[in-house]
Amino acid sequence: MTLLLQTALLSRRRLLETLRQPIWVFMGLSVPLLYLALFAPLLTSLAGGPGFPAGGVLDVFVPGILALMAFGAGMGAGWIVIGELDTGVIERLRVTPASRLALVLGTVVRDVITFAVPAVIVVCVALPFGFHAHWGGVGLLVVLMALLTAACSAGSAALGITLQQIGSLAAVVTGLQLPLTLLSGVLLPLSLGPGWLQGVGHANPMYYAVEAARQLAAGTVATGTVALGFGVTTAAALLAIWWATRGYRRAMA
Amino acid sequence: MSATSGGAVRVTGLRKAFASKRGRVEALCGVDLAVTAGQIYGFLGPNGAGKTTTLRILTTLLLADSGDAFVAGVDVRRHPAEVRRRIGYVGQLGGADREATGRENLILQGRLYGMNDAQTEHRAGELIELLELSALSQRIVRSYSGGQRRRLEVALGIMHRPEVLFLDEPTLGLDPQNRANLWAQLRGLRDAGTTIMLTTHYLDEADQLSDRLAIIDHGRVVAEGTPLELKQRYPAEVIITPKPGTAELGSLATNLECDPLVGGVHIDDGALRIQVPDPTTGLAAVIDRLRAGGVGVLRVSLQEPSLDDVFLHETGRSLRDAGDPAAAEAA
Repeated sequence: MTLLLQTALLSRRRLLETLRQPIWVFMGLSVPLLYLALFAPLLTSLAGGPGFPAGGVLDVFVPGILALMAFGAGMGAGWIVIGELDTGVIERLRVTPASRLALVLGTVVRDVITFAVPAVIVVCVALPFGFHAHWGGVGLLVVLMALLTAACSAGSAALGITLQQIGSLAAVVTGLQLPLTLLSGVLLPLSLGPGWLQGVGHANPMYYAVEAARQLAAGTVATGTVALGFGVTTAAALLAIWWATRGYRRAMA
Repeated sequence: MSATSGGAVRVTGLRKAFASKRGRVEALCGVDLAVTAGQIYGFLGPNGAGKTTTLRILTTLLLADSGDAFVAGVDVRRHPAEVRRRIGYVGQLGGADREATGRENLILQGRLYGMNDAQTEHRAGELIELLELSALSQRIVRSYSGGQRRRLEVALGIMHRPEVLFLDEPTLGLDPQNRANLWAQLRGLRDAGTTIMLTTHYLDEADQLSDRLAIIDHGRVVAEGTPLELKQRYPAEVIITPKPGTAELGSLATNLECDPLVGGVHIDDGALRIQVPDPTTGLAAVIDRLRAGGVGVLRVSLQEPSLDDVFLHETGRSLRDAGDPAAAEAA
């Protein structure tokens, strides 16, 4: 009960912060829309080719964009953590009785919301351009991607509180970004690649989320791939939240 | 209720070491402290002396390697959550949310301490008035001046009416007027019953604000008492600049040293610095001797002992130089 209340209080504070910086809201929306407008046309000639169903390029591409959005919405958390270490905010909150889990979840909830709202908009915008929405699947897809956002958000926060330096955090996150996103097949399905690349992809937790997302977008819900996607992403989110909470709990010099 | 356990803060044998690039650094080597409820207790020392480390242990931010610490009668190591409910903390960095308004900061703080909506609103209004934040409370904290932000941060620290308030270098970077204001507000809190423990490296702050203080250096408490008690251990100095040509300084010094009311004399830049254990009788004795000898006096001043003299005596260095790496190397 206290945990819920404190999480609500802390995520409300975060949302207010976001709303006061409309540039972030604007950029969060414009990037995926630019992908739709500028990148999707490149793919149209691939329709019907390997990895792409006939006339359904967006059916493959929209889940990928949503995964990118989830990654982007979550990965900013570490920067905020370091900013708040430097201004003493985290220290102040750690001396209050606030639950350390709530301190992590406050940011996670905000990031999930800042993913979900533009995600729904992107899905709606994609519809007239030929995205075939299977509503049950798309609903579950957004939930799955919200879990991915939570994993990224808590993971980034944990990295921030561990590294404590903007420079180190930026190096680690940009270093992770390419392999994590490329090897999950967000832009082009990994099935297009050679066997070894698909093999490497299996070591990437995000791969399972994106594979499951493509099936959900196609309206197939009750498959092993979907279950595996949910399983891996949920485990990653829980692990990241535990790691970040441990960071808040531990003493910092 | 905390009074029954013998004080607001009780620390015995506190030790803490950090691993650093140059090996293990002993930040605290057995600190003992006792703070009586209802006092302003100062913790004076140079940078790196262990003040902040002690405060961080008392506020549950850091775990001691060994030793006991009780705050408001509660064991900090065993019951950190209970300690957090009873204390307030204003860190060196402050910790106000820069992207929120002052009022939002206060409301969130109150709610996190489990106060309900009505209590929080009421208390926030009270503190906004008490700390003169009325004109600012609806503004984003990023736009506050240093002194304004510090007042808000003190308000955050006392939002839930803590039994003990800890402040780490509360006036660092404040201009004299804001400093004086904050002192007055802290005295007001003390008078209303809050125990206050603060660190400082300013001599005048420790001297004027603390009811009692501990001087810490290299992780050890080197002196403890009221400011007056500590200073009275050392002699005052009468500083005399004779009129040029009326006396030879060396022989004058020898003459003055014969006086039983004079401790020691040394010559410093054309002036005589004469130690007098009792300033009132000592000053009179010195003036009498000068008059008897027909020495013309250009300037007389009396320098009371300061906490720096206490620090100098206990550590062999001046607090003004201590903690400054260049000065440490030179010494």
